[in-house]
Amino acid sequence: MSSLLPLEIQALVKILDELDYYQILHLEPDAAQSDVKKAYFTTSRSFHPDANRHLDAAMRSACMRVSKRVTEAYCVLRDPRRRSAYNARRQSDDGNKRIQLAEARASHVTRDREERQGKTAQGRQFYQKAVQCKQRGDTAGTVNNLQMALTLEPGNAFFKQQLAAAKTPGAV
Amino acid sequence: MAERAIGIDLGTSNSCVASASGSEVEVLANAFGEKTSASVVFFAEAGAITVGNAARANVIHDPEHTVSSAKRLIGRYFFSEEVKKAQAVCSYDIIEGPSHGVRIQVRDEAFSLPEISAMVLREMKQLAETRLGEEIRSAVITVPAYFNDNQRQATKDAGKIAGLEVMRILNEPTAAALAYGFGKGLDQRVAVYDLGGGTFDISILEIGQDIFEVLSTCGDTFLGGDDFDDRIIDLVADEFVQEEGINIRNDPYALEKLKMAAEAAKRGLSVDDEVEIRIPDVLTDGDGVSRSIERTITQEEFSSLVTDLIRRTFKVCDEAMQQADLTVHDLDGVILVGGPTRLPVIRQAVEDYFQQQARADVDPDEVVAMGAAIHANSLVNESAESFLLDVTPLDLRIGVAAGLAEPVIERNTPVPIEQSRMFTTFSDFQETVDIRVYQGDSREASSNELLGHFEFSGFKKARRGEVNIEVTFEINADGIVSVKACDPDTGAQTTTSITLSSGLSHQELQTILEENPAARVQTESSPDEAFQAIAADREIQASTGVDLDSSDAAARESLVVSEREDRDFIDEDTLLEEIGEQTHADEIILDDNDLELLDGDLTCEMDLEPELPRAELLVPNPDTGASRTADEVFVDLVEEEVHKEEAVELPSETQGSSDAPGAPETEDLFDHENRNLSEGLGEDV
Repeated sequence: MSSLLPLEIQALVKILDELDYYQILHLEPDAAQSDVKKAYFTTSRSFHPDANRHLDAAMRSACMRVSKRVTEAYCVLRDPRRRSAYNARRQSDDGNKRIQLAEARASHVTRDREERQGKTAQGRQFYQKAVQCKQRGDTAGTVNNLQMALTLEPGNAFFKQQLAAAKTPGAV
Repeated sequence: MAERAIGIDLGTSNSCVASASGSEVEVLANAFGEKTSASVVFFAEAGAITVGNAARANVIHDPEHTVSSAKRLIGRYFFSEEVKKAQAVCSYDIIEGPSHGVRIQVRDEAFSLPEISAMVLREMKQLAETRLGEEIRSAVITVPAYFNDNQRQATKDAGKIAGLEVMRILNEPTAAALAYGFGKGLDQRVAVYDLGGGTFDISILEIGQDIFEVLSTCGDTFLGGDDFDDRIIDLVADEFVQEEGINIRNDPYALEKLKMAAEAAKRGLSVDDEVEIRIPDVLTDGDGVSRSIERTITQEEFSSLVTDLIRRTFKVCDEAMQQADLTVHDLDGVILVGGPTRLPVIRQAVEDYFQQQARADVDPDEVVAMGAAIHANSLVNESAESFLLDVTPLDLRIGVAAGLAEPVIERNTPVPIEQSRMFTTFSDFQETVDIRVYQGDSREASSNELLGHFEFSGFKKARRGEVNIEVTFEINADGIVSVKACDPDTGAQTTTSITLSSGLSHQELQTILEENPAARVQTESSPDEAFQAIAADREIQASTGVDLDSSDAAARESLVVSEREDRDFIDEDTLLEEIGEQTHADEIILDDNDLELLDGDLTCEMDLEPELPRAELLVPNPDTGASRTADEVFVDLVEEEVHKEEAVELPSETQGSSDAPGAPETEDLFDHENRNLSEGLGEDV
């Protein structure tokens, strides 16, 4: 249940676009990840639509606006990659306190995709060649190209796995 | 004391209703002591309608007039795979309705899926009223977590038709977790493995004291207990063809008998090591000789029939674990939901996959309704005893050039949320853009579910790329989507709560509410017709309280997705896709990881049809008092002041914020309480 007064909520909606994500969640810019989650829970308790059914339509609408921004702030600050992108924008101080989620992808999503396609332009190229060789049934070519890709991206677990599979006799 | 609200688990095969007060949760049984009711509707010859376990027997006696598994069809387009599949196995008539919708034709009447589901919901409502001895107006209704916006909207409509205020559309696994963890002060991470009659969901949740945070959810709306029955049906039917030379599938009565027997066999295998399928006189052959089926199925044989189905669920589980960025060792518990999880073969496989024992302290058939009731109770009582933070199950996307669909809100993003993106035009001096909204995980537009599309015009006329179009997407706590577009330069804007083409338009919903077909249901539990009539009347008044003004009506007309138009754009998508491969498709793709983008302009070219003649402006008039609610007026007032203040302090506010000062468009027309104001995309011709 919201413990805030209607006036406080109105005031908050007024200045919503002037607040950065840290301010929205009542956090310091160096707050730990665990605090981000706690802050999200606490703030959601005040503004989430489930907490405000007893309010009139205008206040519910105002709370919804805050709630959506709280979620957005949480989505950015809980993810290290998004958070550092946001911090960079915050430094630039162009007055925009928001960052759209699609501008900075969540790290675990990108990590996986990067690994699958290759992180470097050349790594990607060799991987593509390896895929083509594999389709033609050219095992030697597949292995060669994967090895080249791995030289460029030694840490790529997906490439390693593909190489191991290519080296296994009878692998498709 | 606030009035009571109930929780309803509207299942594919069975539904269940529960009520909670304080820390007590009770699953409500019908007059015969049955705690679940079949989600079956029978239409008798005289026009009477029977619902639930009483209707179930008619699946065999009168399959053409008995509708079951309606949930598999709700919110689907007529051309979808699932509808084709249902047409092949269902004995009742599935026909095409307006705007690619699905209708069920029974005894010369065509019913939409929300109407059928409403009959089931009303039965549950009346059951609760009889048991609790009071009128019930509000409910929380559960849906599979993986349901898309179309399916959620349609379910919400069903609730309205049933005379219920749907306080929340709740995800089934989330409800189950709530029932499991409520009031226990847990600090755990749990997986909810929910295999229902027609759908599979997996959700990973973090329970911290009284907060239930969904970390990820994945699912398959084409996989459920029915598929396990089908395997038994196929086995027996194929053997029958081999041995007797007769295809049971061609005889609707025999097929229904076999379906019942297969389901009974599956249930039997939940407790016994082997079951016997015995259907005497299953059919009469060409010579008038009666044939029978007798066959034993062992646990082992059944396992081999369904291994691939079970394996499919684990692929989905892999995805959910990856999205939550966890491994099975991070989990403290596994909760099983849905009748099929009683099968030893499934239970064993799940325990192997998660490397731990599944929780045995929750009833897989009742846990979802219990969770819904707990949440309904906390909503009406404004109590903060438990708090749910859920996510959206699917990527929300917008159609762009080359037949692609760009993600705007990724799956497993917490809700409610709002996101905006800037787009620009495709050709010089273009007048309208067609904004198409999709849900799904494919970059190819056509592989996703189209939620709706609308035309946007009235933006400034300029060379390609010089126009700014800001599209704002919102997903509310029910997982329901709304979208608006605006031009920050001219202030032109349009808005819509996306309404599925396969569902009910505002007009249709009105008509249904007036005719109130669900009230025709004959029920043993509540014969008080006068009471029903009053309740129905109140519902009609509530939903017709606001009239659409004519400009809105005109806008809705123009937004009609006609059949021809729809085909055109599918073809065009394919065409553009081909072109895109040869040209610069890559240049308009936005999901670059490069951080430089943060400072650059986020623009994307819209996929357009410049040669086509264009309809009139589609912008609803924001000054028309009749179409505005108090919220909107309030929000406007607040914003006006914000503008006054900010215009001085922050004159150079840029894109990215939907409420950017300097942008004349700021009106917030998202309003789910009054959905009838802004919906209408799916209007039929």
